[in-house]
Amino acid sequence: MRILFTSVLAVGFLVCVTPVMAHHSAAAAYDETKRVEAQGTVTKVLVKNPHSWVFLESSDNGQKIQWQIEMGGVTSMAWTKDGLPIGTPVKVTGNPSRAPGTHGLTGAAFAKMDGTPLGPRAGRGEYTPR
Amino acid sequence: MTDFAAWLQDSALGVWTRESPSIWAYPTVLTLHTVGLGVLVGANAVIDFRLLGFARRLPIPSLAPLYRFMWAGFAVNAVTGVMLFASDATKKATQPVFYIKLALIAVALVITAMIRKTVVGGPALHDADPGPSRRLAAVSLLLWAGAIAAGRLMAYL
Repeated sequence: MRILFTSVLAVGFLVCVTPVMAHHSAAAAYDETKRVEAQGTVTKVLVKNPHSWVFLESSDNGQKIQWQIEMGGVTSMAWTKDGLPIGTPVKVTGNPSRAPGTHGLTGAAFAKMDGTPLGPRAGRGEYTPR
Repeated sequence: MTDFAAWLQDSALGVWTRESPSIWAYPTVLTLHTVGLGVLVGANAVIDFRLLGFARRLPIPSLAPLYRFMWAGFAVNAVTGVMLFASDATKKATQPVFYIKLALIAVALVITAMIRKTVVGGPALHDADPGPSRRLAAVSLLLWAGAIAAGRLMAYL
């Protein structure tokens, strides 16, 4: 009886907790098996916790696309607030967001338009899916 | 509420928690929030499992000092929780799961106080009829697990 009760509690606990653990990775929001490339100019940099963001505007196919690049928190972010100036043209490769209709990236590597890596570790921080 | 959230987010406390590059800012605040949770819910769980019939060799009144650890953990989490809320107030104030978390904590605290009063305060009561305190203990475990899950889901919902 006690074992049964313990099991019910344990299963209930796992039911509560399992989806949370499944989300505990960038893999839930981003596709780690793909790398996509984006080119554009920096429009906004948010250096904040728990995650920083870099926003790009690209106009590849005559159509403007807003890229949202998720980065590490302030302590692992490659740049300080003014370290990556607004208007800088960049090439970025990263893992694409799974959310349909969005242009999100994480695990991004930044480069100048000629391909030279940009910033410390090419902008890579701690928040990089393996 | 939106005005208040915007004000809090732009306050010195909100900006510091969100934007300070110091390891003693956000990383430490978040760690303390987890440690406080461990102490508060851990002490709760010890009493709840004892009431459910585990570790029967522990006399129930001997667990009374654990309430001091609970309140200390709660105090740490109230302070660090306000700081974490301030860092992203405009978003968190619009998240239903945040209010679910607060409601679960509020009810869990009432249950915790009931357990303390009727069980730890009067062990004879529990020995005579363990049913009510067992039900309270089971509800307590579920509420705290729910509060933890809701808190964690704030990052994903």
